[in-house]
Amino acid sequence: MSAVSSQSIGVKVEGVTKRYVHRVKGEIYAARDVVLDVRPGEFLTLLGPSGCGKTTVLRIIAGFEKPDAGRIRFDGEDVTELPANQRNIGFVFQNYALFPHLSVFENVAYGLRVRGLVQEDIGQRVSEVLALVGLAGYEPQFSGQLSGGEQQRVALARAIVIRPKVLLCDEPLSNLDAKLRVQMRHEIHELQRRLGITMVYVTHDQEEAMAVSDRIAVINQGGVVQEGTAQDLYYRPVSHFVATFVGRVNLVPGTVADVVAGKVTIAALGTVIAAPAALAGAARGDAVELLLRPEAIELVPDSRETTPLQATVTSRTFLGEKTEYLLQCGGHVLQAVRYNAGPRDVIPDGATVSLRLAEDAMTVLPRRESTMAPGAP
Amino acid sequence: MARPAAIAASIRRDPAVAAVVLSLWVLLVLFVVYPLGMLLARSLYDHGVFTTAGILGILTDEHQLRAFWNSLVLGLLVGLTGTVLGFLFAFTATRCRLPRPVLTAIDASVLLPLVSPPFTTAIAMIFSIGPRGLITYNLLGLKTVTVYGMASTLSSEAVTYFPIAYLTLRPILAGIDSNLEGMALSLGASRWRVFRTVTLPLCIPGLANAFLLLFAASLADFATPLILAGNQFQVLPTQAYLQITGLFDLRGGAALSFMLLVPALCVFLLQRYWVSRRYYVTITGKGAGQAPFASVSAGARNALVVACVLVTLIISYFYALLLYASVVVALGANYTLTLAHYRVIFTEGLKAIRDTLVIAGLAMPLGGLYGILVGYLVTKKAFPGRRTMELVSMINYALPGTIVGIAYLIAFNDRPFVLTGTALIIIACYVFRYGPTGIRATVALLQQIDKSLEEASQSLGAGSGTTFRRITLPLILPAFFAGLGIVFIRSMTAISATIFLVSIGWTLITVRILENITELSLGPAAAFSVLVVAIVFVVIAAIGRVLRLLRAPGAAPVTSLLGG
Repeated sequence: MSAVSSQSIGVKVEGVTKRYVHRVKGEIYAARDVVLDVRPGEFLTLLGPSGCGKTTVLRIIAGFEKPDAGRIRFDGEDVTELPANQRNIGFVFQNYALFPHLSVFENVAYGLRVRGLVQEDIGQRVSEVLALVGLAGYEPQFSGQLSGGEQQRVALARAIVIRPKVLLCDEPLSNLDAKLRVQMRHEIHELQRRLGITMVYVTHDQEEAMAVSDRIAVINQGGVVQEGTAQDLYYRPVSHFVATFVGRVNLVPGTVADVVAGKVTIAALGTVIAAPAALAGAARGDAVELLLRPEAIELVPDSRETTPLQATVTSRTFLGEKTEYLLQCGGHVLQAVRYNAGPRDVIPDGATVSLRLAEDAMTVLPRRESTMAPGAP
Repeated sequence: MARPAAIAASIRRDPAVAAVVLSLWVLLVLFVVYPLGMLLARSLYDHGVFTTAGILGILTDEHQLRAFWNSLVLGLLVGLTGTVLGFLFAFTATRCRLPRPVLTAIDASVLLPLVSPPFTTAIAMIFSIGPRGLITYNLLGLKTVTVYGMASTLSSEAVTYFPIAYLTLRPILAGIDSNLEGMALSLGASRWRVFRTVTLPLCIPGLANAFLLLFAASLADFATPLILAGNQFQVLPTQAYLQITGLFDLRGGAALSFMLLVPALCVFLLQRYWVSRRYYVTITGKGAGQAPFASVSAGARNALVVACVLVTLIISYFYALLLYASVVVALGANYTLTLAHYRVIFTEGLKAIRDTLVIAGLAMPLGGLYGILVGYLVTKKAFPGRRTMELVSMINYALPGTIVGIAYLIAFNDRPFVLTGTALIIIACYVFRYGPTGIRATVALLQQIDKSLEEASQSLGAGSGTTFRRITLPLILPAFFAGLGIVFIRSMTAISATIFLVSIGWTLITVRILENITELSLGPAAAFSVLVVAIVFVVIAAIGRVLRLLRAPGAAPVTSLLGG
């Protein structure tokens, strides 16, 4: 890909801290000792609720803001003191930030003109990159004449045409409608893989993060709380926050019933359940929290086959291919989801069902007052 | 005040900016702070001794005190009348779904008074209801009616200044989300109730602002009372003028303008720290469009339209009369068509025309540049004393012209800065008095430009110089041209400040118009006025064209040339 082939580099964020003085709350941390290691060609997403500091971290990597402490390294080279215009990065803004007085061509050509390329090369590279994002022929238009999705593509083309060392995206899809968002995230993912470019991507949408990322760093209150693949985060959340932020989850309180030869059993939902893995330092009577994904609760409507867990369907939401159920079980309300094989497969309200739990999709966390280390399969 | 360390740091960080800031401060101190200081000194010190005798002299002089009260009462009434008229027009324009040509016609005639020399309506009033007035004398045969006094001054000022209220209120009314009114209607409120409980309350800050603007304009107006007030209804600005030009009493003039300063300052502070914080409607520059439902009943709509058309007709009649007066031998006596008046102004009056054009031509680029420089610096650059600079730059704009004129006269008559008699003093007066419009336009435009645009440029490898040249500058050019336009228009039409600054060497058309009126040669005065309106319209049209060319499709719309 001659238009945009880039040498991908690794990005290291080393102990970056950024404080702000808030009028009411006083000093607050937008970033607190953030450590990240983005490998060359990797797609890393910073995921977190609004105001968690993820954008601040991205802007510090870009050089728009200076950290109070910590370093930024591009392939080992310390760039902390380098201004943004000397870092050779591509940045896609949430509002696209297209120059309103310049045409699509001139927007994309801007970075090339700054680099002093000759007119022929500029023309060639701009049309190549516009073709790449599916906007061939849009050169003379102005941003006001484009749809949201088209503006987004121009912003992307403008950022990658300069062959940046790393592409930084700040919630680039948040201004698009739901359908376009899904389409664009596939296109961005595809583009990133084709170009092999290192990418740091910020979003608050966990589904978007899981769809595009090689790795996700979950950020809360300025700090990285967990880092890993989408599967890691989903099946092995290290905290209550990650478990509830990534996907839906049932939180069921329980206590350690027994510890025999490293095997832990837990009393919860009026029965005893085998814990998925060894819980370091667990002792009988410790308070724990059981995290159950809705799809990990198997509903067995057939009354001939019973399990120790009995539940009643209190309400359901029919969604076509699947039905979401609210269940009453041992004094707790559980959410469960089940794919429908056909119309007769939908379980009616008030029905009694047996539940089977997929053990490897279950996580046990110590409850707040407990001091145990988290356990996972 | 900023600490020296902070100043040193900011100079090191950006020496170019520091140099520009420093030069601007030198100019601001010289042309804003120093004259005002000299004015205060002249009214409060006598041979180096602090004294309030000058002020007390006015406060105890019944004649002067009456002028003071007259000024306040006139300002109050003009404020009220003009705000009502302005609201009437703004409401009709935004809520009555008028066809486009009607709206354009109303807009054009409403803007006429804003771009005319200040006495245009006053002259037309004399032509209509003066001693030999078309209406009073010719039509009604009244022989004893007198045009001079408070009623005619009030009507003339209201007609002249209500467009300010219209321009202030229209974007506010247009900016009110029509869904708010629709919501109230859907909850069962009648249209009148919606107007009373939703529309009007949302406009209150705007109404207050319009009132203050009109009050200040009337307080500062010097030309209208000079012609129409007569000797029974004295006001402060004319008193100050007569004190200086008639009695050569600079101290008395200074003391009188000090009296004028107090209410003017109150208005300025009220606007800046009270009204501006109470806007509910954010003005985005893009009109919210017309309401999707009929927010006024058919009857109310007709009444509103008729009222607006009547006022528009009165204004049109004034200007038609002026045009007519300029081409007949003597309106009211001899209706023979002639071009003699134009011959007069292009021979005897040629110097005034040339001087005015030279001064306006020089003040225009300087004022435009001053506007975007200060506007850019106070919005985008952090430097010690930034807010103070913004405040100081607004002073000459906010003060009545009479005060500024007298202050310049006092400050630049003696060493160390002797500028009296030069073109420079007039140009400086215009730049620092009307350049602030450009500052405000620049600030408003810059606030609309998201900072991510500059960051995008930076991320693409551009340094701060390139970013300013290729991104920021093109985006604030409209403000520059708006500033140019205002400075030019005002340089062509203003008189209140510069009447104190003209000399044998440099004179102005507006001053010649005033002389003509006092000599009762109304024909040449009318011809001069028509010429000024024509020149101003040509320049506005040219600048409007440039603005349209500059505006890329999809770029933020350019604020109105006369907005503010």
